[in-house]
Order: sequence, then structure tokens, then C-alpha cells
Amino acid sequence: MLEVRNVHKSFGDNEILKGVDLKVEKGDIIVILGPSGSGKTTLLRCINFLERAEKGTMDFDDIHTEFKTASRHQINAIRKRTGFVFQNYNLFANKTALQNVTEGLTVARKVPKQEADARAKEALDRVGLSDRYDYYPSQLSGGQQQRVGIARAIAVNPEVILFDEPTSALDPELVGEVLNVMKALARDGATMIVVTHEMGFAQDVASRVVFMSEGTVVEQGAPKEIFRAPKDPRTAQFLRRILRDDYEYSI
Amino acid sequence: MHINTEFMAETFLASLGGIPVTLEITLVTLLISVPPAFFMALARQRRKGIGSRLASAYVSFIRGTPVVLQILFLYSLLPSLLNYLFTQVMSLQVNVFKWNTILYAFIVFSLNTTAVLSEVFRSALSTVEHGQMEGALSVGLSRRQAYARIILPQALVSALPNICNATVNLLKSTSLAFMMTVQDITAIAKVRAAYGYNYIEAYLVVLVVYILLCTVVQLLFKAVERYLSSYKKLIAA
Ligand SMILES: Nc1ncnc2c1ncn2[C@@H]1O[C@H](COP(=O)(O)OP(=O)(O)OP(=O)(O)O)[C@@H](O)[C@H]1O
Ligand SMILES: [Mg+2]
Repeated sequence: MLEVRNVHKSFGDNEILKGVDLKVEKGDIIVILGPSGSGKTTLLRCINFLERAEKGTMDFDDIHTEFKTASRHQINAIRKRTGFVFQNYNLFANKTALQNVTEGLTVARKVPKQEADARAKEALDRVGLSDRYDYYPSQLSGGQQQRVGIARAIAVNPEVILFDEPTSALDPELVGEVLNVMKALARDGATMIVVTHEMGFAQDVASRVVFMSEGTVVEQGAPKEIFRAPKDPRTAQFLRRILRDDYEYSI
Repeated sequence: MHINTEFMAETFLASLGGIPVTLEITLVTLLISVPPAFFMALARQRRKGIGSRLASAYVSFIRGTPVVLQILFLYSLLPSLLNYLFTQVMSLQVNVFKWNTILYAFIVFSLNTTAVLSEVFRSALSTVEHGQMEGALSVGLSRRQAYARIILPQALVSALPNICNATVNLLKSTSLAFMMTVQDITAIAKVRAAYGYNYIEAYLVVLVVYILLCTVVQLLFKAVERYLSSYKKLIAA
């Protein structure tokens, strides 16, 4: 359904993505792991054209494009078929929870207001915010804000949802509520690409784990394979470190 | 010292007649200045490119020179420059020396206010996190839609106090329009004072009139601010 090939992206002289390939089928839950600075965020941002990669191709259903030359029209089409959930939520501060969700429907897709309201409420209900329609982001907790962010992303029925560390800005006690929402989405058959450091989520939910290091995909496979028997020493080292941290954190 | 209260009352009434001119200069200047100031702010926000550098040079130039000097300079320069432009370059039959001098006031104050407002807008735009633009793009809004619906409404709320400041400062500096022989509040009072040498009384009256005007402007802005920032007010409640 979605395939990117040979993605290259530099900031100045700094090459961050050095030829990344990623293939996603309908219903896949891809979890991307990797050390800080390995280019995970940059990859997601390139897929949504929030960053312009200078090399590589993208196939999204019937759309075939080069990152470098993608037209405004193609970018718009791709954005309309994807959802993006940000680490810092990036909600519209001047809009209520409901308006945050309807904006992409009424303005970008010209959905009539009544239908948009109904769809937005349904999305907010799915993330457990039926009682918060008219709250402004500043009146919501971090976990609630991120759930609005997820509702905003799913309300447009995207074919794939990109998550960039959706829980890492949250207080530990709020992480669970967001992960539960994401698990429910996964059960309902959503296609998701998730960058996260939540190993439990990766183990339970991922259909495939992709490990990135220094701008390349080092290895990928079923969570069991990657966690039990990583082939690449960089994966092994990363897992050892992060699982030890998790362990220390839990005591 | 004898204060001529009768003269003051008469001057007060007479100078009220100058209020429309003062307000006209203020409003027209604001209307002319807002669009270029906005685009300069956008250019400067990008931080690179020729537009950004030109804009910042312009702002430094205007800020680094006294308004009085700008008025003296432009008022001496503009008429002959425009005359040359129209009659020599474009061969038009225009007599710029017959223009209402208020036009020069519009030009001078607009050049100044554009620079001031571009700074106001720039700092207001920077108060809205860039993430909201990306959030808007990610749900399919165009950049223009994102500015119109998400970024600018918030920037406007945070800009209002500074826009109010700029407006009050502009309103006060329009009193310098008398240097261009525009008949505003100050000019009217000055002329009347000259008859009987009642300068102190005349200036007292003018002070009061400006205080009243500025107070009204500030109250208006407060009301607009309260209306626009409903999403912030809710937080405080
Ligand atoms: N806009 C930018 N300008 C310059 N450098 C950037 C920019 N965005 C990212 N980088 C650099 O690219 C590198 C990769 O960043 P990226 O955010 O993709 O890493 P990441 O894998 O998501 O890391 P983390 O786990 O910390 O989120 C970093 O070294 C970062 O400094
Ligand atoms: Mg990241």
C-alpha cells in the first residue's frame, strides 16, 4: 500500500537519512525503534512532506512520486490520505477539541458541517473524550490532548496513521491511556507506523519491528525475532540498554 | 500668571474640530501600513533571502532616525521629487504643489508605522508555535488556510496590546502634522494661541484632548481584546 525507497535527507552537510526503504501493507502495525538521532522522526516527516527528502521514491496506492519533484497536488493528496500524531500534540490552541477534529474535514475536505461534527464526535468518542468536546487544549491534560491529536488524525479516515513518539511528552501515569487508544485502533484494523520507545507496545501490537541506526534500517522482522534474537549487534546493544532502563525504572 | 479660562473653553471647542483630521491621519496610516507590515513580518520570519534582509534594513533605518527629521526631510524632498516624476518622467499634467498636504502626512506616517507594525507582527507570529502549522498541514489544510484559521487569529490576540501601543503612539505623533501645515488638533490650537499669546492655555487644552483621545483608543482595544481572546479567558475562569 505504502512503499518508500532509497530515502535520502540531509540538513546542511549532515546526512540524516542514508537510503531508507520501508514497505507497509494494509493493516500493518510497523514499530520503528532506534537510538536518538537515528532519523526516525525525520523519516516520518519526509513521508508526510513536512520535510522534503532530496532523493527517493514513494508509492502510495496509485500515486507514484519522487520526493524531490512531488507536486503540490500530489503532496496534498498524500497528506489527505495520511494522519500524523505528533510528540507535542500540535493541537490548535484557538479551537475546541471538537473544532480541532472538524477542521481537517470541513476546511480541507469540504465535508458539510453537520456531517463533520458527527464524524468528529465519533472520533472523540473512540478515544474516550465524549465529555470533552468543548474544551480548549489548554483545559485538557497531556494525555487528553494527545487523544484529541489521535482523534484529529483518525477522523479523516486515513489509510495510514503516522505516530511520532506519541507518549514521550506525557507524565508516566498518562502513557497508558494513550497506548490503550492506539491498541484499540490496531485491533480495529488501522494501518499504523509508530515511532516509540514503549517496548511493551512494540512486543504486544507490532506486526513488524523496524530497527534504525544512523540513518539506515539495520534490521526488521516480527517482534519476537527482533527482541529474542537480534541479528545486528547495534540492535542487540540498543535493546539491552533500553530494557535495562525500563527495568531500573520499574524498581 | 493669569489663566484665560474663557479662551481655553473656546480653544477646546475649536480644537475638537481638528479631531476628524487627527483620526483620519491615524486610520488611513494604519490601513496603508498593515498589509506591507504583515508581508515584511512574514519575510523576516523566514530569516533568509533578500526580502528578509531588505525588510530588516528598512526597519533599522526608520527606527534609527527621529520622526521629526523624517517629516522635515520627506516634506522637503517629496513634492519636488513627485513633481519631477510626474511631469518629467511620465509627462503628466499634475501639479503636486496643489495637493492637500495631508497626503504627505499619510506617506510619512505610513513609512514609519509600517516599520513599527512589522516588528509587532513578527513578534506576534513567533508566539504561535510552529507545530500548529504542521498540525494544520498534516490534516490537509493549505498553508494559506492554516495562516487564516489557526496562526493569524492567535497572533492577532497576542499582537493587540502592541498594536494598541503603536496606534496610540501614531495618534500622538500625528500632532507633528502641523509641520506639514495640516490643520489637525495641534495646529488649530497653535494658531489660536498665536493671536493673544495664550500658548500655555492652548497647550493645556491640547494635552487634555489627546489624553481623552488616547483613553478612548485604549478602551476600544481592551474591548476587542476581551472579545477575541475568549479561548484564553476560559483558561483563567
Ligand atoms: N530541522 C533540522 N535542522 C537540522 N538538523 C535537524 C533537523 N531536524 C533534525 N535534525 C537532526 O537530524 C538528526 C535526526 O533527527 P531525528 O529527529 O530524525 O532523530 P530521531 O531518531 O527521531 O531521534 P529521537 O529518538 O531523539 O526523537 C538529529 O541529529 C537532529 O539534530
Ligand atoms: Mg524523534
